[in-house]
Amino acid sequence: MTTSDEFELHTLAGPFAMDAVTAEERANFVAHLDDCLQCRDDVREMREATARLGIAAAVRPRPELREQTIRAALRTSQLAPEILGEPAAVAEPAPAADDGPAPAEAKGSVLRQLAGRVRPNKTLAMITLAAAALIIGVAGGYGLVANDVSRQLHHAQTQDHAIDTVLGAPDAVIMTSQVSTGGNATVVMSHRLHSLVFSAHGLAALPGGRAYELWLMGPSGERPAGMLKPDPGGMAGPAVVSGLAPGDMIGLTIEPAKGAPQPTSALIVVIGPHR
Amino acid sequence: MSDGGSTSGGSDRNLFGAARPAVPGRRGLDELLPAVAIGDQRAYEAVYDQASGWVLGVVRKVLRDPAQAEEVMQEVLLEIWRTASRFDPAQGTGVSWVMTMAHRRAVDRVRSERSHTTREIRAATATVDYDEVIEAVEASLDRERVQRCLTSLTELQRECVGLAYYSGYTYREVAELLGVPGGTVKTRMRDGLIRLRDCLGVA
Repeated sequence: MTTSDEFELHTLAGPFAMDAVTAEERANFVAHLDDCLQCRDDVREMREATARLGIAAAVRPRPELREQTIRAALRTSQLAPEILGEPAAVAEPAPAADDGPAPAEAKGSVLRQLAGRVRPNKTLAMITLAAAALIIGVAGGYGLVANDVSRQLHHAQTQDHAIDTVLGAPDAVIMTSQVSTGGNATVVMSHRLHSLVFSAHGLAALPGGRAYELWLMGPSGERPAGMLKPDPGGMAGPAVVSGLAPGDMIGLTIEPAKGAPQPTSALIVVIGPHR
Repeated sequence: MSDGGSTSGGSDRNLFGAARPAVPGRRGLDELLPAVAIGDQRAYEAVYDQASGWVLGVVRKVLRDPAQAEEVMQEVLLEIWRTASRFDPAQGTGVSWVMTMAHRRAVDRVRSERSHTTREIRAATATVDYDEVIEAVEASLDRERVQRCLTSLTELQRECVGLAYYSGYTYREVAELLGVPGGTVKTRMRDGLIRLRDCLGVA
C-alpha cells in the first residue's frame, strides 16, 4: 500500500537525478531510496543520461591547473575504504597492486610522510632531542628546556591525530580558494567534529612585524583562530582549528606579529560553507 | 603542450567512454577510480586528464563565472581523490559518479550565490565564452548526438531539463518560471530524462 506521501516521494526521482530539489527534499528522498529498489534503478539510469548532458558542455581547463590540482591532491589524505566492523580511521591504504609508481612517495600526503618520519623513531627522537636539549639546558643554566621539547613533540603528535580525524570525518568537505595577496588555501571542514584543517601554499613573505592570522567568522562575529606561520617556501599548515559553529567561515588577514583580537585589515581569503 | 592525451577534457575520447568498448591500452574511469582510492598517482593523473574538462564544463555552465568555475572544478577533482574509495560500481558508472559530484557542487554553489549579493556580478559575466569549448572531432560528434537527443524531447520536457540541469533551479522554481504546476514539472523531468537515456543508449 502506497501512502500519498510515498507517492509524492516517488515522483521526485527525476528532479533528484538533476539536483532540482531542496536540501530537505534531497534528504527525504535519500532516505526513501533505502526502501525503493525501483527508485534506485530509475535514479541510476537517469544519472547516466544527465552525465552526458554535462559532458556535452566540456571545456578545456587552463593547462596550469593540472599540476596545481594534482599537487594539492597529493598533499590531501584519502578516505579509507569502508570495511564493515572496522573503524574508518584506519587510514593506511593498501599497497598498489600493479606497476604503479612506488606508493610510499606517490601517496605522499604531507601527513603520512610526517607520520612515517616521526612515529617509528619516536623514542629515539625523544631521547636524542631530550639529550640535546639537556646539554643546551645545562650549558645555558636552564633545566626546563628538555621538558619543553618533549611537550612540543607530544603536541605535534596530538596535532597529527587531530588532523587525521578531521580529514577522515564522514561529513568532511574540502574547499579551496586563492589568497588575494598570493597563494592558495585549502580547508577540510567537519561540522560534526566542530573542526577544520587549514593549509596554504605559495603565501607571500611578510615584512617584519606582520603575520598571518586566521579567523572564524559566523553569525556570532569574528573570533581569532590562531596565527599561521608559513615556512620560507610559503607553505603553511596543516593546522587544526576547533570551535567551528554552524554557518562559520574561515578567513585570513595580515596583522601585527603578535596577533590582534579583531581583524584590523582586509580579508585576503574567506572559505566556508556556501548556503 | 597539447598532445590531446595529456591535456584534458577527454578530447581524444568519446563522450560515452564508459559505455563503449574502451580504447585499447587506455583505462576508463571505472578502472581508474579504484586505483586512485589506494593512492595511485598515475591513475589520478589519468582521471584528471579524462574528467577535468567534463567537470569544468558542467560547473561553468551552471555557475557562468569562469573564475569560480575553476575553483569548483579543483574542489571536485580533490574530492575525487579524497573519496575515491567510496565509488561503488554497483551504483553506476565512474562517469556518472564524477558528473553527479560535479553537478551537485555547482548547484550548491549557485544557489548560495543567488541568495548573496553577487547576483549583479554574475549578471555582468553571464555570457559564457565558448571559445574554449573542446573542438576535437569526436567530442563534437558526441555533443551533436546529445543535441539531437535533446530535440527529440517535447518543448516542455526540454525546458524543464535545461532549467534544472544547466541553470541549477529546483523543480519548484522551474514550475514558477514556466507557470506550470509543480507536479507537471516533476513528471516532465522524469519523462524527459528517460527519453534522453533511451536516445543516447546509456545505462
